[in-house]
Amino acid sequence: MRRPQQIRKFIVYALYLLLFSTVQVTFSGILTFYGIRADLLFVLVVLVSYMFGFYDGIVFGALAGIIRDYFSAPSITTLDGTVTTALGIGLFLMVAAAAYGSSFFTVRIERNFLLAFLSVVTATLLYKIVGHFLIFLWSNLVPGLTYNMGLSQIITRSVLPQTVLNLIAAVPIYLLLRFLGPYKKGVNPVLIDEKRKGDNSWLTM
Amino acid sequence: MRRLLLNKRFLTAVTLLILLAVIVLGSLPGSPINSLLKPVGAVVNPVQKAVKYSGNSISAFWAALTDGIAIRNENEQLRAEIAELQYQLNQNEEASIRYEELQEAFHIREVFSNYDIFGASVLSRESDEWFSVIRVGAGNSDGIYLEQGQSLAVVDVRMNLVGRVIEVNEDDSDILLLLHEGFQVSGKVNAVNGATFLIVGDASLKQQGLCLVTGIDPDTIPNVGDEIVTSGDGGLFPQGIPIGVIESVDTSNELNITATLRPYSDIEDLNDIFIMVPFEEEVQETNETAAADS
Repeated sequence: MRRPQQIRKFIVYALYLLLFSTVQVTFSGILTFYGIRADLLFVLVVLVSYMFGFYDGIVFGALAGIIRDYFSAPSITTLDGTVTTALGIGLFLMVAAAAYGSSFFTVRIERNFLLAFLSVVTATLLYKIVGHFLIFLWSNLVPGLTYNMGLSQIITRSVLPQTVLNLIAAVPIYLLLRFLGPYKKGVNPVLIDEKRKGDNSWLTM
Repeated sequence: MRRLLLNKRFLTAVTLLILLAVIVLGSLPGSPINSLLKPVGAVVNPVQKAVKYSGNSISAFWAALTDGIAIRNENEQLRAEIAELQYQLNQNEEASIRYEELQEAFHIREVFSNYDIFGASVLSRESDEWFSVIRVGAGNSDGIYLEQGQSLAVVDVRMNLVGRVIEVNEDDSDILLLLHEGFQVSGKVNAVNGATFLIVGDASLKQQGLCLVTGIDPDTIPNVGDEIVTSGDGGLFPQGIPIGVIESVDTSNELNITATLRPYSDIEDLNDIFIMVPFEEEVQETNETAAADS
């Protein structure tokens, strides 16, 4: 890759990373429904890794996770009942989301916009379902901590709204990455080289 | 070996395992991992401030434009002039509201004379329903320190309970909001000898902006509309901070009567908060009370 292309890549990635992470925690009313808000950074990480491959996704996801932990770390109740911020969960989540996005039907099927949105939907579903399950398990381990959400509440008040909101957010983010993204024509040339060698996924938008 | 290191599945698995170890280490008290994020602030804080400033400017400008629709029918020059004046007026009104809010904040000092009150702006809000700790701009450098087992109450400008401090960093602090399921506070009906109970955050009520009231004695069931304040039991929070009003009462299970409470504090509109730090003597009394309670 030529130097100007590399510079463009780094600038665009840095810009989107800082912009989306700060917008997410600064303005509370953006794409919010029933107390749930679209997770712009999560959607961005899944789409970057789906569209531009494993290495871009992992590095971008790791940086996004660090910033998420810095801005709004999750809090957990430890076994002795004290509540503390748990650093590293955002990092774990974003790296896992990047790994998932980069491997979402990318080996045998051409990358395309429908699968891009499907990757966001399935990643959100997976994140929410696993998250609720882990919180439920943890609530049963920690004395005094209760988790009163029933299955229907989990689906209608958390999983579904979050999935729909993330899908809505995915449309402009996809267009940004495709037309004002880190690569010209929205295609990572490395992925095309890997396709020629026949040893990895490839991209035709 | 080299082939193994280039294998994406192997790389992902190793990375995620390392991150799991980081999470476990990071949740230990006094973990050095917490300080690793300090340099991140140097990069992202100025960007966030710029984004916040731009957003506020755009919304103020947009408000000025929409207010000037009627004027727009007049001539071009006059419209521009009026729009600018309207914009300035909005700015002044905003400043006036802030002034009134700060005046109310001074009232907090009078009511809780045993506490140092530290004002701070909300720096970052929740990311999603689980990444829900908010960060405010006051920390060790302002003289706020959090001892092991201590809890610092956080109130809004109208002195209503917002949450509590769970982590204090050099320049900022992490706040656990009262809607969060890890939050607990002892409350009572705001009346002489008012019934006491426990107010906890609840995952299923959080999105409706409600808290759960538990530990209700069947003989002293609160009524809908009753005002609830902190009881001061356990010594973690000072007595008398308004929390909210009872919205509904569920007596269907006599062994476990519960109620829902709507907090006074509007979490979505929080811009400034106040951290209540007790004086030394107060801390000693608190420790003694907590020891006696246990």
